[in-house]
Amino acid sequence: MSHRVFVTGYGLITSIGNDKVENFESLSRKRAGFGELSILNTLHSRNLPSCEIKLHDHELSRLARLHHARGYTRTALLGLIALQEAIDDATLSAEELKCTGLLSATTTGGIREFEKNFRAIIDLTQHGDFVQFTDTANPGEHTERIADRVGIRSYIGTLSTACSSSANAIMQGAQLIGAGKLNRVICGGAEALSKFTINGFNSLMIIDAQHCRPFDAGRNGLNLGEGAAYLVLEGEDIVKQQKKKPVAELIGYGNANDAFHQTASSPEGTGALRAMEIALAKAEILPGQIDYINAHGTATENNDLSEGTGIKRLFGTNVPPFSSTKPFTGHTLAAAGSIEAAYCIMALQHQVMWPNLNFKEPIPELELSPIIDLVQGNSLKNVLSNSFGFGGNTSSLIFSGTR
Amino acid sequence: MTADRMTCYINGIGILAPQETSDEGVLLEDIKTYDNNRLTCITPDFKDYINPVQLRRLSRMLRIGMTSAIICLRNANLRTPDGIITATGYGFLGETEKFLSEVLERVEKQITPTHFVQGTYNALAGLIGLTTKCTGYNNTYVSKGFAFENALQDALLQLESNHNANFLVGGFDEAEDVLHAIGTKEQFFKTEKIQNTQLFNSRTQGTIQGEGSAFFTLSGRASEKAWCILGDVKLIYRPATEEDLASALENFLEANKISLDKIDGVLSGASGDVERDWLIERLEASKFSSVPLFRFKHLCGEYCTAVSFATCLGASILKKQFIPKVIRHNAIVPQSNGIKTLLIVNHYLNRNYSLILLTRHP
Repeated sequence: MSHRVFVTGYGLITSIGNDKVENFESLSRKRAGFGELSILNTLHSRNLPSCEIKLHDHELSRLARLHHARGYTRTALLGLIALQEAIDDATLSAEELKCTGLLSATTTGGIREFEKNFRAIIDLTQHGDFVQFTDTANPGEHTERIADRVGIRSYIGTLSTACSSSANAIMQGAQLIGAGKLNRVICGGAEALSKFTINGFNSLMIIDAQHCRPFDAGRNGLNLGEGAAYLVLEGEDIVKQQKKKPVAELIGYGNANDAFHQTASSPEGTGALRAMEIALAKAEILPGQIDYINAHGTATENNDLSEGTGIKRLFGTNVPPFSSTKPFTGHTLAAAGSIEAAYCIMALQHQVMWPNLNFKEPIPELELSPIIDLVQGNSLKNVLSNSFGFGGNTSSLIFSGTR
Repeated sequence: MTADRMTCYINGIGILAPQETSDEGVLLEDIKTYDNNRLTCITPDFKDYINPVQLRRLSRMLRIGMTSAIICLRNANLRTPDGIITATGYGFLGETEKFLSEVLERVEKQITPTHFVQGTYNALAGLIGLTTKCTGYNNTYVSKGFAFENALQDALLQLESNHNANFLVGGFDEAEDVLHAIGTKEQFFKTEKIQNTQLFNSRTQGTIQGEGSAFFTLSGRASEKAWCILGDVKLIYRPATEEDLASALENFLEANKISLDKIDGVLSGASGDVERDWLIERLEASKFSSVPLFRFKHLCGEYCTAVSFATCLGASILKKQFIPKVIRHNAIVPQSNGIKTLLIVNHYLNRNYSLILLTRHP
């Protein structure tokens, strides 16, 4: 009874581009978004460079086609920009949007505005312009705001499973369609940089002050980033009825838990392996049929070893070409799953595999080398995207080309 | 839906609430009163549920959440669930506040990670997974007044593909200081002090702050001690008019092949906020005037996942066939041949409306 699920459009904004075209160009030309922070005001703007979108909020408001951006957090602005591109890409009408669901993911919602106004917000005697951001610590706030803006009414949900969040949003959307509950769901995530996250990850000592090096023996942590991406998922019935041309099919997904440590992944890659296995089983394909992996590859000591081990356990000596695009975008936390899903779909559309920047030497325990240059002219059919997070959350998605 | 639709059973419940609870659910023999517009959980000795080494490191919300999850698993006689789905509106806002204060006070220098890690929304789902060694499905919803409903629907979807699986699903939120400030500024909470028993007589703007944590094990297979059947869950986002809400209700009942006269009781999520209850009060008057009507938010206060308290209450009524006097809101009594079907109609801030159908088992 499970309906097939297609991607009929997508949109994204990251530090390497404000839309699909710009992201494609940057990935193809190895242009990373890494650098000193100039928009976010933090003590660490120089010593902890990140992948920041070099636009102020008022500039983002224009991109989001807003005349009045009052109450919009940076997370909501990024979300709205990517959401509108996805809607345009799938050419959805206002009428269609009314019966569309929205599942959005974030780890911190509007914490950036909340932290800025924190003392005023908690002081009951203070009133002023900051009140527009009073409730922005709530992670579900951005979803309702952007759904209201584009006229989505039929289903709303916000997910937060740390760095695997938007992969789970995509997965849940696929399941709602698969079970016939909804015909169309837009799924993804949005995340703005904040002092909160920079200091949080810095206190865990997993930020590299230099440009991150996924799967490299000398890797020394992650770089943070910001961005948003949404995919329009539609069931096979309406795709057929309306003769839509899908850009990809979501054929498999898996969600598992490492059950190892609150913030670290197991050395055996238990959760990673399990998520990939479940996704393959759902897709009804064999490991040998995966043509490219967009790895989670955060460049932390722990993640890359655990993920690499999981990959080796699954694929044995036939590990498919793989890369992490985190050096381009930084780790965009809850948005990473949907941004990388978009990169997988782009890879299928253009038959390319993205380079893993800054790789020199394989991790001795793994002896795995990612792709380091753009690979063109492939015959990519099935691509796998991994997203893992704190709390042991591991999720994998498999997209298939529709050419 | 198809004819061979799966039946979903609530096999276990664990709850901590501002009212007396036991390992067998919420009691409600006497109502606990609060005079400060903030209802907080009555907690057991956490050491009975969490090992002392682990306990020391956990925040209050994690303790409450973890304990209710363990009560639930014990109630269901289950060691390891097949999947875990949690739901919360504001998660661990207390931890977020502590971390943020540290960042601001120390001007981003020498920051410790404890509150950052414990403030992550999926911290409880991760902790339960870790403690019960559950490597299965794990998800967390943070969708304001829809979070618990999203989680229930997710569990129903997961069970569709594996009827025998046991999913642990819970909603949790804390009546936290920062949230009190936010809620007061946004006029979500009343400015004048009332006793919780007078919530529905107040007729003023705002509600009272509450909290709780309620976990459920759901399965397509009934256990011997099953509480009830979870029939269906529906979200209604921002109904503009009473007609919108009424037609969503009619569609829901029709989809579940049940007529209004077969409903033995309605648990209404009216919050005592005269500005935001108007729609649900109109629905109560137009649709439920001849149905036994119950209200519950004077017992648990208002919070994003308060509907999880109502779900526990409904399951308890169906299992024990007993309606606590303190929840009755009209004079109509259920039919003498027993309480078979209950409908929960909830709203959060007049934006997030939901319908949950519970039926008796066996």
